[in-house]
Formats: sequence, structure tokens, C-alpha cells
Amino acid sequence: MEGKKYIMGLFKNEDQVVSTLAALKESAFKFQRVHSPFPSHKIMDALKLKKSKVGWFTLTGGILGLISGFALAVYCSLEWKLIVSGKPIISLIPFFIVGFEFTVLFAVFGNVIGLLTQARLPTSKGMEYYDPRCSGEHFGVLAACEPMQQDDLKDFFKQNGGEVKVFD
Amino acid sequence: MASNEKNTATSQKSPMGWISIILIIIGLAAFIYGVVGDHPEKAWQAYLINFLLWSAIAQGAVLFSAVMHMTKARWSGPLSALAESFAAFFPLSFVLFLILFLGRTHIFPWLHEDLHGKEVWLNIPFLFTRDGIGLLILYAIGFAYLYNALQLRADEFQNQGGFRQMIYKGWIRNNRSTEQVKKKMTTWAALYILAFTLVLSLIGYDLVMSMDPHWISTLFGGYSFVKAFYVGLGALIILAAITQIRKGKESGLKPSHFHDIGKLFFAFCLLWADFFYVQLTVIWYGNIPEETYYVIERTVMVPWSKLAWTIFIVCFIIPFVILINKKIKSKPGFMVILCSVIIIGFWFEHLLLLAPALSHGAHSLSLNISDGLITAGFFGLMVIAVSSFLKRFPGFSRTTEAGSPG
Repeated sequence: MEGKKYIMGLFKNEDQVVSTLAALKESAFKFQRVHSPFPSHKIMDALKLKKSKVGWFTLTGGILGLISGFALAVYCSLEWKLIVSGKPIISLIPFFIVGFEFTVLFAVFGNVIGLLTQARLPTSKGMEYYDPRCSGEHFGVLAACEPMQQDDLKDFFKQNGGEVKVFD
Repeated sequence: MASNEKNTATSQKSPMGWISIILIIIGLAAFIYGVVGDHPEKAWQAYLINFLLWSAIAQGAVLFSAVMHMTKARWSGPLSALAESFAAFFPLSFVLFLILFLGRTHIFPWLHEDLHGKEVWLNIPFLFTRDGIGLLILYAIGFAYLYNALQLRADEFQNQGGFRQMIYKGWIRNNRSTEQVKKKMTTWAALYILAFTLVLSLIGYDLVMSMDPHWISTLFGGYSFVKAFYVGLGALIILAAITQIRKGKESGLKPSHFHDIGKLFFAFCLLWADFFYVQLTVIWYGNIPEETYYVIERTVMVPWSKLAWTIFIVCFIIPFVILINKKIKSKPGFMVILCSVIIIGFWFEHLLLLAPALSHGAHSLSLNISDGLITAGFFGLMVIAVSSFLKRFPGFSRTTEAGSPG
């Protein structure tokens, strides 16, 4: 976004991050993201993220797979009719195995596609606003504001006990 | 004063206790009326179905506790102690099995058939001896496991009567540390799991599959015990949900418990359907008349075909679609309804396995009110057994584990 200022608060304490996030929700500043050196449940809970949509990709993949599996088996049987001991050409009982396997396969595909798209991958830009200290011992909370509010945001992070880094 | 109040409270029967007793009396009356009436075989059929179903529920629910202990699972929390309460039905189940002997002429259609060599295995003395011994072993192991599990909280039972005093004395006498008791539990749990699979297979072969003495399926035993665990989990969820609704936070049951056991229930829903499908596929491929007639009679022919589809939808399709949802699994009230419907579905599943063999050439399901009443009687027995156990050993206090005495 043009004209916005991106400022990062760097914290050493997990609990500080949690309280900062709660305060940030109340304030006028725009929360962007958190960088954490390790996965943290406390921060995950504080972010109050919406439920991931990946499950829907998996479900769609699974249903498509079930249909495709049956369709493939039916198509093959109709193209190459092998009549064994008077059994019907299209017999759903054994086709279920193909349907089941395709359900699993397509559900996995759906899941991977969902994961990549929902995690905004693939990306060529790399991290725009990042501080290498976030791979060390710091948590980074990134927020955006109007240029005139810049000092307020800096003070906000300092009050919450963090160091401040301003991106140009 | 407080303890006095408590004693009077436990000695008085709750309304639920009275209702159960009335149900038992009604069920008993309906059963006796059926046995002395024109069609004793109908009453015995209902009796056999209920014996199999309710015993499977008790055995399967106790299996949950054993499996949780074996796998060192922590997520089950108070659910394990609740599951153990179903062991109270074991003695009743054994007595009910012995009563089955009186109805032997009505429930074994092979008695007057030429069995072509199978009479070595299928004869009344041998059948009742091996099944009786099997059940006895299973229940003895179950109680040995339970005895050790209860020792973990023996210090609560110091000034109590009866069984609790016995457990307390045993705990003092043995002077085992928590670790030692847990080790004992592990041994008994492993034996229980083993006995569960073997004995339930045996019961499945002898009391269900043998009704069609010329039909065989090697997987039938496995199918029987997977089914038993499935219904056992269903009954456990019902008990947990009722406990949660009645006691609230005191029960220690959180939505996460219901979510987790709901997932296990879902898994066994799939496994049950898988065992059914695996049998079906093999029979379909082989296409041998001795094997296929059993399936065809039950899934294609009138009057059973509609029943078969209903069971498949109620016991698999509906739970499968519903249990995909996460939120529903953690709603106790809803799970009570779902699990009850599934257990009723399994009542009919037993009917589907038994009735075509017991009443050849039937034109209708020919169910009447007495089937329902006998079932209600068995339900009353189960409620009495479980609630009187839970009154003596309230399940949810398990969270505080006792240290070693002295």
C-alpha cells in the first residue's frame, strides 16, 4: 500500500507479544503479521485467526476423487468388456476400491493445493518487511499506519516493552 | 451429619432407579409371556439379540479403558473411569448367558439338522462349555483389571462398606506403589484385549454365524469384536454426555474429551464398515453359492433387503457424514441422540444376522411390541448396573491419583 509506514516492534518475551497483540487490536494501527522464532500456541491464540480453509480443499478433492475413481473404472470396463463368470460389466462392489483409492489421492492433492494457496505460496517476492533477529531471539510484530501516526506507533511498541524498527 | 445425609441419599432409590426396575419387570413379564405363549422362539430370538447387544456394549466399553491404559493415552481423562463402570454388567451378562441354555431348542436351528461332520464342534454340551468358560475368563480378567484400576484411588474407600472396603484392605495388604499397581494394570489390560478378541470371535461364530450352519466366513469373528467396540464406544459417549449434562464442570469432562472420543468413534464407524465390505468383496468375487446365499438372502430378498439398507445408512452413512463435523462431536446432547440411534441400528443388525436363519420363509419382519419390551428390560438392567457402580465409585474423581500407603 502506498503511503503507509511499516513499523516492527521486536520483543524478547512471548507474553509481551500476547499483550501487545491484544492492545494492537484495540488501537487504530493496522496489524500485519507476527514473526516468531518458534511455534507458539499463546501467540496463535492471541491472533484469533479465522479457521483455515484448507479442509474445504481436501473435501472437494476427496469428492472429486470418488467420482473420478468410479468414472475411470466404469469407463475402462465399458471400453474393454471382460465378462467373467457372468458378473455384470459395471459392478459397483469392486469399483468401490478404485473409488476409495482415488478419494485418498485426490484429497491429498486438494490438501497440498489448499496448503500452498492458503499460505500464499509460491511467492517470488520474498519477505518484504523482515528483520533477521526474528530468526534469533526476538519476536517481531509488524504493524502499518499513516505516515503522520508514525511516532504514535513507535511509542506504542516502546510502551509495550519492545524495540522498534522502521521500514522505509 | 453430612455423612448421614449422604448415606440416606445413597440408600434411597432415585427416580431413574425406579424406572429401571419397572422396565426390568416389564421386560421380564413380556419375556415370560412370550416363552409360555404360542411363539416361544420369537421371545428367545429377542432375548438372544439383546444378550449379544448389551454384552457387547459392556465388553466394548471396558475395552476402551484397557486400550487407553495400554497405549498410555492421557487424552481420555475421566472417560476411562466411566468406561470401567460398564464392567458392572459382566455378572449379569454371564447369568443371562446361562439362561440361554433353557432356550436352546428355540435358538439353535441346527439341532435337528445333518451337519456333515460339523457336529463335532456344533453340539450343545461343547458349545455351552466353551462359551461359558470363554466368558468367565473374559469377565474374570476384566474384573482383575478393574480391581487394580480401583486400587489407584483406594484411599477414598477407607470407611466405606462392601467392595470398597475389600479394595481398601487389598491395597493396604499389598502395599504397592502407584507404579507397581499400574504395571499390574498393564498386564491385565493386555490380557483383556487378547481375551476380548478371542472370546468375542468365539461368541460371534457360535451364537451368530452358526445359525446358518453351512455358511462360513473366517472374518466373522473379527467383524463381531470390531462391532462390539463400536457400540461400546457409542454407549460410553452416551454415559459421558449424560454425566456431563447432569454434573456440569464437576464431571471434569471438557468439550475436547468429547471431540477426541468422537474421533475414535468415527474411526470405528469406518472400521466396522470396512470389515463388512471386506467380507462382502471376497464373497462377491468368489461367487460360490454356499457363501453368496447368506448375503443374497439378507440384502436382496424381501423382507430383509430394506432392513439391510436401513442398517447400512443408520450405522454407517449417517454417522460418517455427521461426524466429519468437528463441532457436533463436542456437543454432548447431540451425541446422545446420534449414539442412541446407532445402537438401535445395531439391534436391528443383530436381527438381520439372526432372524432370516431362525424364521425361514418369513414374509415380513414380524416384530411386535414384546420385542421392544424385552429390549427395555435389558436396557433397565444396564442402567441399574452402571448407575449402582457409579454410585459406589464415582468415576470423575479419578484425576487425583493416590500415592502408596504408609
